[in-house]
Amino acid sequence: MSNHYRAIDWNRQKRRYDLVLAAIVLGGAAVFLGVSAWVSPESTAETLILRTTSITSFFLLHVVLAIGPLARLDGRFLPLLYNRRHLGVTLFLLALVHGFLAVFQFHALGDENPLVSLFTAYGRDYAVLQNGRFQIAHFPFEPFGVFALVCLFLLAALSHDFWLRQLGSGLWKSFHLLVYPAYLALVAHVALGILQTERSPVLPLLLGLGFVTIASLHLLAAGQESKRLRASKLLASDGFIEVGTTDGLVEGRARVVIVGSKRLALVRHLDRIYATSNRCRHQGGPLGEGQIVYGCLTCPWHGWNYQPNDGCSPPPFEEIIPTYRVRLEGTKIWVHPVALPLRTSTEGPLVPGANLSTGTTSKL
Amino acid sequence: MSDAFYLGYDDSMPPSLARFLGRVVFGLAFVAVVVVVAVAASQSPAEPGDYGFGVETPFEGVLMEEPIPLLQVGSGAGSITNYVLVGSGKFGLPAFALGHGGKRVHFNGSLIHKGDQQMIELNDEKSFSVVSDQREQRTGVLGMETSLSGELVDTKCYFGVMRPGAGKVHRGCAARCLHGGVPPGLLLRDTAGRSVVVLLSGTDGKKLDFDTEWAARWVKATGRLSVRENLPILEVERLELTEGP
Repeated sequence: MSNHYRAIDWNRQKRRYDLVLAAIVLGGAAVFLGVSAWVSPESTAETLILRTTSITSFFLLHVVLAIGPLARLDGRFLPLLYNRRHLGVTLFLLALVHGFLAVFQFHALGDENPLVSLFTAYGRDYAVLQNGRFQIAHFPFEPFGVFALVCLFLLAALSHDFWLRQLGSGLWKSFHLLVYPAYLALVAHVALGILQTERSPVLPLLLGLGFVTIASLHLLAAGQESKRLRASKLLASDGFIEVGTTDGLVEGRARVVIVGSKRLALVRHLDRIYATSNRCRHQGGPLGEGQIVYGCLTCPWHGWNYQPNDGCSPPPFEEIIPTYRVRLEGTKIWVHPVALPLRTSTEGPLVPGANLSTGTTSKL
Repeated sequence: MSDAFYLGYDDSMPPSLARFLGRVVFGLAFVAVVVVVAVAASQSPAEPGDYGFGVETPFEGVLMEEPIPLLQVGSGAGSITNYVLVGSGKFGLPAFALGHGGKRVHFNGSLIHKGDQQMIELNDEKSFSVVSDQREQRTGVLGMETSLSGELVDTKCYFGVMRPGAGKVHRGCAARCLHGGVPPGLLLRDTAGRSVVVLLSGTDGKKLDFDTEWAARWVKATGRLSVRENLPILEVERLELTEGP
């Protein structure tokens, strides 16, 4: 759980994840090659490799983009998020093979540097207005592929926790938002490339379906989160803000609340209510969607732990998150928006009428 | 949130979660198969062609440099077969073969062909030799005035090096090949999907001077069409960009 630089740990679950990933990639590639060889037996091996790597990597990119909102909509998808970086690195490697082969196949062995030719072979068609007419169909598709490949390289190269520590989770997370421009660039790459060559309606239909699926999942997840966070917020004269009631906040569970401009995690542990930062020190995961495991608030993304009373990770780990003062008035929960000094130990208010619970999980 | 809380660093996950994920993975695999089958089945079949990459065959005949580099090979029956000549990679007739127009030459090369339309890649300079210095003249053929519209292709890729060797995806390669001197062709298709490539030359026995960035674009070529043995050739008087069908 520490973010010191070290080799990746493997366990049974990670190995399973990667085996399933390899099976889907290799199986999908084999099916694609088999059907392609039947439909188009005259295609060259290079064409088949180019198309196989493009379809597998683009499909994986859709999966990568779908996992985030799916996990927000239903926590049972969270295990897919745990090793999402393996998916990302795999799709980058497939895209790299595609890009390298495409540059060699279409631009090498000629009278111009292949990397220059890639951008200039028919450079006049960057002008979308020609003879007073708007002509986007002839616009070069290759630069979109290059842009996406550079983004995917950065995402794959920076995916290790070493870079997470060097950049800090905020900057690291911002870098990883590059996946969205990369996806849009690939949509343009496909739309201006193969869709201008193939006449079957299947390809544009699938491209559109993929885009609509990804966009809808993100909108649904955003809508659900916004609904969950919508609550009346009363401000007391001493600065405390009402964030809801103890109803529904069951033992060992947490909830995300908005206090002022911050998102905090509200957690019930041994029938006391604590408030901590919602942001995990690892990758900024939502601690308010976590649970108490072995007495610690545990991030749902990668299982990093924090003691709810002082925000400290259990020894020997050294990560700390801010904690906040909590007050109960009946069942109403009030939280002060100013963080306590780090490592300050507090005893959260006891839920009225509650007996000390033994909790709901065996790891409580 | 589900009761089953996932911890990736544990060796196992809660059974209810494992069952759910099993169904998710099965569904994902099913979607993956449907998608790849749909994409693969929607591809247009590449046209047949052949490229004897790495296979060197000896050829002897009369080399014609312009308007289109050709090797004219006579058979015993008096008929002639024309082979379009190109160099390695994305280049036209190589330097070592230049200046020998009209001479009988011998060399080893790799055969590229699509049906009757044949091409030789000259990739072995050491094997190139002039058999006879006496220059032979070939009389020109007066063609029929016509206009044709189709995709501008590089003949090397289209005859069989790349399959498919046309369309937008191949455009950068086609532009590179045409810029490197590979003879241009006009790809014509009929409504039944059959295709033929008409080689494009300039007038007065010269190479065609054209914009290589028009590669893979739809063009209209006006000029005189003739058929020289196995090769249709259009002497282009005017070439212009048009919109495709």
